Amino acid sequence: MKSSILVVLLGFVASTYAAALTLQSPKFTVSSPNGEQKRSEPISFTKKPSPVQLGPQDVLRISFQITEKENGAGVQPHQAFLRFYDDISGEDGVQPIRVATSGKAKFELNMARPPRSLPPTSPDSTLKVSLIVGSFVHTPLTVDLFDLIVPASQPVAPHPEEVRYHPQPAIEHTFRPEQKTPPAFISAVFSVLVLAPWVVLVGLWSQLSPKVPHLFSPKIVPFTATLGAFEVLLFLYWLDLKLGQVLLYGAGLGIVAVLTGKTALVQVGKLRKGSI
Amino acid sequence: MFSLYLILAAFIGLLQAKSSTGGSVLVILDNKLNRSEYSLFFGGLEDQGYSLTFRAPGDSTPAIKEYDAPNFNHIIVFAPHTKNFSSDITPQSLVSLLEKGTNLLLALSQKQNLVNSLASEFSLILPPPQTPLVSHFPEREEPATVIPIIPQPNILVGSDLPPVWFSGIPVALGNNPLLFPILRAPAESLASDATADSGADSVLEAVDRSGEGLWAGSSLSLVTGFQTRNGARATWVGGVEPFSDDFAKKNMPSGKKPGNARFCNDVAAWTFQEKLVLRIDAVSHHKLGGSETPEIYTTNDQIVYTAHISKYEPATSSWVPYSGISDLQLEFTMLDPHIRISLPPVADTPGKYSVTFRAPDRHGVFKFVIDHRRKGWSTLQSSTTIPVVPPRHDGYPRFLSAAWPYYTGAISTSVGFLLFSLLWLAGGEEKAKTKKE
Repeated sequence: MKSSILVVLLGFVASTYAAALTLQSPKFTVSSPNGEQKRSEPISFTKKPSPVQLGPQDVLRISFQITEKENGAGVQPHQAFLRFYDDISGEDGVQPIRVATSGKAKFELNMARPPRSLPPTSPDSTLKVSLIVGSFVHTPLTVDLFDLIVPASQPVAPHPEEVRYHPQPAIEHTFRPEQKTPPAFISAVFSVLVLAPWVVLVGLWSQLSPKVPHLFSPKIVPFTATLGAFEVLLFLYWLDLKLGQVLLYGAGLGIVAVLTGKTALVQVGKLRKGSI
Repeated sequence: MFSLYLILAAFIGLLQAKSSTGGSVLVILDNKLNRSEYSLFFGGLEDQGYSLTFRAPGDSTPAIKEYDAPNFNHIIVFAPHTKNFSSDITPQSLVSLLEKGTNLLLALSQKQNLVNSLASEFSLILPPPQTPLVSHFPEREEPATVIPIIPQPNILVGSDLPPVWFSGIPVALGNNPLLFPILRAPAESLASDATADSGADSVLEAVDRSGEGLWAGSSLSLVTGFQTRNGARATWVGGVEPFSDDFAKKNMPSGKKPGNARFCNDVAAWTFQEKLVLRIDAVSHHKLGGSETPEIYTTNDQIVYTAHISKYEPATSSWVPYSGISDLQLEFTMLDPHIRISLPPVADTPGKYSVTFRAPDRHGVFKFVIDHRRKGWSTLQSSTTIPVVPPRHDGYPRFLSAAWPYYTGAISTSVGFLLFSLLWLAGGEEKAKTKKE
């Protein structure tokens, strides 16, 4: 209860007498592992320094002093954080900095043993480094320092089910290749070759010149028609009929064939014997 | 006069935003909290058609469930100062309610209590006790623990939500895809128990002590949703104050009105299954060119699969066909997905998603699987089993060009037989004529 009253009073005091803070002599150095300085410059508020590149073993040192703007007195604020923000992935890491009572602060980042607060980075990400200073009695201060490029980190291992929460890659089934058919020309040539025996048959028949005088005799025609119908039934079976239908029609045609065949063969017999 | 009644009736009708799973809510309110200080939030829920029942944490009636059946559709637990709960409220009973479909809205406490210990089961990592969220930005009259936050837009809070007041504890999110952060902490905030600048050292010690690092930055979440696998939702809020009337009425440092009332309404709407709720109405499949569903398919068939999906519309309390899912995927699976393709919406029918694909040339028992999960949305799952058989004896291609010689051979045999029988039956010498002469 008392502390909350104190906080309210302090807040009231802060709103009426909030002193502004500023950074004095902020500077950074980048040095290689053997100690030689690669880069050392002050951080200007008007012009951002060029992006700072850190190799896998380099050391970055930042130093500054937090003072009140009016009288330059050193301030030890409640919160002095260095924020590393990657705006492409949205990751941000916060590193607290120890500030002495005089307001002086130093921070060292050794890439050989990076702090836990450095967010995971990809090869093309740039970290925006800013300083966040917060105090119960002063106006808060945010200062953008510089851009930092560090070596890429190991990617964060995602949860095994995380992949289902995003569209997954499409899977296409590889079908067996279509069966290749030989060229149609070869099939046509062999079809014609298949008809070769007809040449022989027609040639021999032309020598014999057989005659068909009784072709249209009324007792014989039904039987030849039935035989033709059987051939047509066989052709239709090849095209589009099922076994059951064929057997049905075949049975019907068979009965017809028995009747017509009897008459036809009797007729042929009579013709052969010469009784007609 | 009559038109005034009509307008009033329409207005009341608009306010009826009942949830898709029912409207009875149990509010477990701490003894130290005054119900009238939260009248805007509770009154808003009642206006929308929910029936609220209030109960203290130590009471044993009304019980949250009887004989293993939940008594209420939704439960709000606002008990940050309570150490002892009645015997029917235990972490196990709350989890079993979630399994039965009851939604929970829980407020975390700065002290270690039942709700805080349950939070760690949901992959939420809590800061040490008595370390509320503190932010010195922006400069304001309120104490550092009362923080105005500009919410980052996500699918639940739109981009036009005004800044929101918050006071409570932050949580760090574990690696769990079921979590849905609704409100993130501002980048400059941290969890600290200090009340003066001299507390700076404790901040640095906290980094070493806790082992989890520093609770600071925008990776912390203040209002976190959790969508369970069976569809129930649980939301964890860092404190009770964001729901209070004070916070809903207090002006921002810039002078604008805060968005607390609307934000709390959105959070309750998501938790109580009003917003971002989808369901599959029907699925069907048939062969391309046909219309009825066959019992089996043949390999290499062209199959058309259709799904009808609708979204719950809280304003009209009804399910409305929804064509807004752009990344729905269908899997045709036999032990492993053989085919995974996107299921796009059909342009002229709302809510209909359809795709045509070729069945694999493997035979077996396949499943059409839709398993659509996105953070914040309810899960869409559907599985239809269908056998795929190899072609029947007459299902293969026929009349191939490679078989022409065989066709000509067979046909010429038939023709030859006919000709021969004609010759034999009808042939002979022309004896009849000579006889007559």
